[in-house]
Amino acid sequence: MTEVSLLSLTKSYGKAAALKGISLKIGHGEFVSLLGPSGCGKSTTLKCIAGFEDVTDGKILFDNRDISRKLPEDRDIGMVFQSYALFPHMSVAQNLAFGLEMRRVPKDQIAARVARAMEMVQLGAYADRYPKALSGGQQQRVALARALVIEPAIMLLDEPLANLDAKLRDEMRGFIRDLQKRVGITTIYVTHDQGEAMTMSDRVVVMFDGEIAQAAAPETVYDRPASERVARFVGNANILELPVAGQGGQIVLPGGHALQIAAPVPWAGGRLRVMARPEQIALTEPSAGHLGGRVARRYFSGGHVEYHVDTDCGPLIVLCPTSRSYAEGEAVGLQFDAERLWPMQRTGLPEEAAA
Amino acid sequence: MRIATPLLTLFRVLVYGFLLAPIVIVVLASLNAGNFLTFPPQGLSLRWFWTFLQNDVFINAIVYSAVLATAATSVSLVLGTMAALYFVRHAGREAEAVRIGILLPLILPEILTAIALLFFFYEIGIGTSYKIALFTGHVLMTLPFVFLNVTTALQGRDDSIELAARTLGASRYTAFRRITLPLISPGLATGGVFAFIISFDTFGISFILKGTGSAPLPIQLYDYLRFNFTPEAAAVSTVSILLTLLLVTAADLLFGRD
Amino acid sequence: MRRLRASILILPSAALIFLFIVLPYVNVLVMSFRAPADGQPYGEGFSLQGYVQFFSESYYALSLPQSLLLGALTTALCLILAYPVALHIATASKRWRGILYGIVLSPLLVGIVVRSYGWTILLGNSGVINSTLREMGLITRPLPLMYNNFGVVLALAHVFLPFMVLPLLSSLQAMDPAVQQAARSLGAGRLTIFRRITLPISMPGIQSGCILVFVLAISSYVTPALVGGMRVKTTTLLVVDALIDQFQWPFGSAMALTLAVSAGIVVLVFARLTRIKWS
Repeated sequence: MTEVSLLSLTKSYGKAAALKGISLKIGHGEFVSLLGPSGCGKSTTLKCIAGFEDVTDGKILFDNRDISRKLPEDRDIGMVFQSYALFPHMSVAQNLAFGLEMRRVPKDQIAARVARAMEMVQLGAYADRYPKALSGGQQQRVALARALVIEPAIMLLDEPLANLDAKLRDEMRGFIRDLQKRVGITTIYVTHDQGEAMTMSDRVVVMFDGEIAQAAAPETVYDRPASERVARFVGNANILELPVAGQGGQIVLPGGHALQIAAPVPWAGGRLRVMARPEQIALTEPSAGHLGGRVARRYFSGGHVEYHVDTDCGPLIVLCPTSRSYAEGEAVGLQFDAERLWPMQRTGLPEEAAA
Repeated sequence: MRIATPLLTLFRVLVYGFLLAPIVIVVLASLNAGNFLTFPPQGLSLRWFWTFLQNDVFINAIVYSAVLATAATSVSLVLGTMAALYFVRHAGREAEAVRIGILLPLILPEILTAIALLFFFYEIGIGTSYKIALFTGHVLMTLPFVFLNVTTALQGRDDSIELAARTLGASRYTAFRRITLPLISPGLATGGVFAFIISFDTFGISFILKGTGSAPLPIQLYDYLRFNFTPEAAAVSTVSILLTLLLVTAADLLFGRD
Repeated sequence: MRRLRASILILPSAALIFLFIVLPYVNVLVMSFRAPADGQPYGEGFSLQGYVQFFSESYYALSLPQSLLLGALTTALCLILAYPVALHIATASKRWRGILYGIVLSPLLVGIVVRSYGWTILLGNSGVINSTLREMGLITRPLPLMYNNFGVVLALAHVFLPFMVLPLLSSLQAMDPAVQQAARSLGAGRLTIFRRITLPISMPGIQSGCILVFVLAISSYVTPALVGGMRVKTTTLLVVDALIDQFQWPFGSAMALTLAVSAGIVVLVFARLTRIKWS
């Protein structure tokens, strides 16, 4: 097992900076996702770790060994590509054997290790098939086995599920996660899908514009995002801008209801922007809510109903169980889970905010 | 519309016929038993093939062309593949310049290129001796075909396949030899066959740069056709067509299956 | 470092092109301004005499419009012949596509000398066509099919047809079939779809095909020589004559460059007229 440290990694192409100083420590056996929109630098980070890009500045350490100047083939990594990158002219077994051959593993051991790896990904029966004859999910598992059979120090996955259909994608999430826990390998996973990052990772690293915006456990990133941008990227976020009452931590809704939020707010007066996730708001009778509103749109999605509600705080999105239904145009009350309202790091009067 | 469709079909068939006609007619003419290229033929015979086989001039020309084409193709294969690798993998802003530069021999009028080369080689004191000018011309003419085919083969391949080999411990060289090379071999084969055929058939370059002594087949054929009208030229042409077909078929059988 | 190592890949080809294409062409440009001389390719100093001679003697000067006309006619014929074929191949089933592709490329696999020779067998006074027509009693004297513009244009169109079909095909194949279906769903008939959708979308292919064929046609040597029998005087024929047989390097170079510049102007005007605004 290996610990990976990125020490103020920068990468620029001419004048354009793709990475502006990435520092991150990834623990033994940890599963870390790099999450962000396209162009945020997550893939560049992965390529730097794999050795396909030279870093402009900074260091990459595997257990205190500086590997930043090493060639990709000498870095001891297992990598799974978005396109799987299986060798089309080699059978499944030959694909798996390739890395072991490169390491000059004796022939009889290669056969045994390849067989074991194929069992591990439940492809024992497909040894002599060519990649073209396999389904997308099977190809995916071959790619995983090929990366793991060499017992690398770390595993890198570059959007490995992007080419699969929705149902298979859900299955593979669990499969990859289980496999990683069983093998106990330090893993870095690149994705632009926040759901994928949340369900699979020990830690999510949200990146924007070549910088790390937040690196924390999935729950933390979701409930306590470091910025509004992170809040919006990892899920639906209702942002309400409300006046802060005299003593710290009390915000006042239009209509007079005051809410005591749990998170510490070290200032008084002015206005505060707070985030409420759609499922952290409940709909009630108009009289019972903290805030009144009217249902503008209603979207049914099986397990839940999503309401777009017009309020004095602007349009809000509310996610409700299907038990009680509200019609479009109906007046409703909104009830907030004050415990989980999260203050964003942005304060001041509206004029200042606008400036 | 009802009438237009059959008319269009007829037109297409005529065009396909137009494309094949001169080739078919050359083959038919070579089987003519008569002394001249008359039509209808005066009986069928293989006598002109026999005449051709005993004519050292044409046999030598075919051998000469084949040797020249093999040499030029070998050099083009190496240079063209290297250039294609650079173009697909490494070229940045200069990519378009690289592409146009290598395709220049194809874009520029062949006869003008030949003349330019002739002057140039005379100016540097070599002239047409030692066949250096001729060989250089053939490499130039064949290079674009290797480049185009290998480029297409490389672009059709997923880059990450070679990267995957690198992460599994293969060196740059091993990854190229064991992964990339087998994958682009159909493109190399097509490029090589194209290059060989172009070199075998090219006229302008050979015509201007051939120098004294033996000449490639197209030149020999052209010289002969200017003053002779026997079906022997048709027999020579037919043999050249057959050689080409043989080459294409062999390449297809060896590398065609992907 | 990485880029430096990679540049070794391109170095040999770049050197080859620079040494044996760029420098020689510059040399031709310089040569066209050199002074002529007797008994040797060129003399001391520089002069415009090559250009003056070309434009002042009608024997030479008239070859230029002749060449350009030949190029234009060949290009037009190629386009008319190639378009339906390209359209056919683009929409053909996979199996047919391979066969048709083979037919279209087949002229490329046969040497230009052999192909031109084939046309002389077909078009000659006692050739296949004239003989057949005479046998059928339709004509008594042979039709003049060869040794004139007609024969040369026909043979040139054959020789260069693949160079028209291929660009057309690639522009047609790049077209999303849904675009035509969309036009259809909006109420366009087949002719309208062709005129308003297919034709404009294939314009880049038409453009590059026409330019390629035009340039190839005006600089071709073998076909006009064999099928035209030296009676169709193109500038290219005269250039080779001046350089190889008469050893007049500056004059030949001046002619070649005048042809190249004229062709360049024609191509530029053509590109300007068929300018594509949407790509």
